[in-house]
Amino acid sequence: MGDAIVIERLAKSYGAKPALKDVTFSVREGSCFGLLGPNGAGKSTTMKILSGLLPPDRGHVSVLGRDIRKSGEDIRREVGYVPQSITLYEKLSARDNLTFFGEMYGVRGAELKRRIGEVLERVGLADRAKDAVASFSGGMKRRVNIAAALLHRPKLIIMDEPTVGIDPQSRNHIFEMIRSLQKSGVTVLYSTHYMEEVESLCDELAIIDGGEVIVSGGLNEVLDRFGTQAVYLELQDAAKPPEPAGFGKPEPKDKGWVVETPSPLEAIAAWAAACKAKSLKVKQLEIVRPSLETVFLSLTGTTLRDN
Amino acid sequence: MVFTIAIKEWKLLLKEKGTFFWLLLLPILFIVLFGTVFSSMGDTKVSLPYIDMNGTQASQAFLASLGEKSGYNLEEKAAGDLDDQISRIQSGKQSALLVLPQGFGSALAGSDGARASIELYSDPNSQTVAPLRSTLENIANGMRESKIEGALKAAGESDAQIKNTMAPLIVIDDKPQNATANNSVTQVVPGYTVMFVFFIIISMIRRFLGDKSSGMTARLRTTRMSPIGYLLGMWIAYLGVALAQCTVLLAFGHIAYDVQLGDIVAVAVVVFMLALCGTGIGLALCMIVRGENQGIGFTQLIALGGAVLGGLWFPIEYMPRTMRTISHFVPQYWAQKAFQDIMVRGVHLSGVLPSIAALAGFAAAGLLVALLRFRGFMQSALD
Repeated sequence: MGDAIVIERLAKSYGAKPALKDVTFSVREGSCFGLLGPNGAGKSTTMKILSGLLPPDRGHVSVLGRDIRKSGEDIRREVGYVPQSITLYEKLSARDNLTFFGEMYGVRGAELKRRIGEVLERVGLADRAKDAVASFSGGMKRRVNIAAALLHRPKLIIMDEPTVGIDPQSRNHIFEMIRSLQKSGVTVLYSTHYMEEVESLCDELAIIDGGEVIVSGGLNEVLDRFGTQAVYLELQDAAKPPEPAGFGKPEPKDKGWVVETPSPLEAIAAWAAACKAKSLKVKQLEIVRPSLETVFLSLTGTTLRDN
Repeated sequence: MVFTIAIKEWKLLLKEKGTFFWLLLLPILFIVLFGTVFSSMGDTKVSLPYIDMNGTQASQAFLASLGEKSGYNLEEKAAGDLDDQISRIQSGKQSALLVLPQGFGSALAGSDGARASIELYSDPNSQTVAPLRSTLENIANGMRESKIEGALKAAGESDAQIKNTMAPLIVIDDKPQNATANNSVTQVVPGYTVMFVFFIIISMIRRFLGDKSSGMTARLRTTRMSPIGYLLGMWIAYLGVALAQCTVLLAFGHIAYDVQLGDIVAVAVVVFMLALCGTGIGLALCMIVRGENQGIGFTQLIALGGAVLGGLWFPIEYMPRTMRTISHFVPQYWAQKAFQDIMVRGVHLSGVLPSIAALAGFAAAGLLVALLRFRGFMQSALD
């Protein structure tokens, strides 16, 4: 399989303010690619350029094998764009909104009706088709927002933070939908500032910060290369745990504590011995997978939330 | 694609209750209100209190003649009410009081040169006094003519000689030129139809700016929609609404007030050009204004300012000459003129071509501005 998206040395400024500086990455066809970064990192600008909404100032961008500068209109036929904001007409029903978007994508008649039925099933809202969007919850609106970008059966879907401010049920629906799209061969470019979403959904990613890609590649490759393994300890009571000798000071995480180390087995042994010596009851002691949070921290010196 | 946008817009407008209120119910309400007020003004009789201190046959005959000729509703008051009536005039509660003093009848009947007098107490600021005075003078002149006729007869002149002598030197030969009488409803119905077409601009601004700020314009640009397709689709939608609005309002005027529409083809062409003009200016404003409030302000200026200058609220003839000249620069003037030419003066399409050309000019100017500014509008929607 080739690359669905190739971006080379992309730059874009708004007036004198640079939004993207020398961005380079590629997205494999059929993959779910996470574009991760804090607010203002340049994710939306990248998405808008890929969707043909903004022209790049510099660099080369190819989408589905076509140069975006030369074939913008052709690319639009094969790309579905889900914007960060919910762009639906609230007073119209879900079906009316989808009919409108379907026709705007050039799908009509019986075929459009069939596809609307399909996408409504896919987003779990078939029984609410006739209801006004205004009566939907935020999560349901997000699902219709995504459904509107699927009607023309795009080969590439660009999703700009599609899960902002939604309930867990809708988030699960969206995740299942993305997995199902990926299985059917659709390439998904997924932008978010939630690291866990990328870890859960994506097989490739790029972390972008300050308009620059700080790392890109396969999820496991990035975690292996930049993530640090860690040991997690949770005690029966809320007491502060002892330090595992030679492994530094533990940091609080969730309900327990964590130490980062390239030698997790030795750290487990040292920490278990320290707890035993103080007669502390251990509830959980395990090696934890490196997270993108630690990758981001190790690469930028700050956490994503700090940003 | 263009019609998909237009159909979507119509669906949205049908879902918005405010659309019907602003574009149809409110103008109908205005037409009914002002149509009723102005049309009943001619039928309403002004009250004229009088005190007949004379109480003779002659004074009764005079009052009967006054009631018949003037159209005043005469209200008899007692002689003891004189001070109270005068004080009501002084305080502005009534405009006039007519008093026929004692000796009125005998002075009229006398042949010794005595002159009968009547007393007219009045508020000089009241506009009803001048017509009353004129009526009284007419009655006095009529009585004088009767007296002359009597004198001529007594002098032995024949009826033919008397008729010849008394014949007026100037005869007014009335020749009405308009097919239909110009009255309040022929002013109000087209007037408010024209005025409210321009209020559609508010709906246009709300939708254009709403689409832009919600990100809808940007999202639609990722579909197969061309920018000009978006502009055309939105324009056609509101053009259709303006055409429907004019049709409903004029039909209401015709059905409810029997307004004669005249040459229907000519009316249809004027309606189309008016809708083109209103929506063309609306498109230009949508591309220019920075926010909804600014847009509503501009719309009110155009709709209400144009209504006054264009002679939509009252006939243009009532305005000073300078204002009448300025009114040529507002589209409402040309639309109202065209409608009244057709409806009141029985003019056909060829007769309203100058007005149609003027409306086309305003529409073209609006569309040109919209096209020139559209690129910037789209750019700001995508950033």
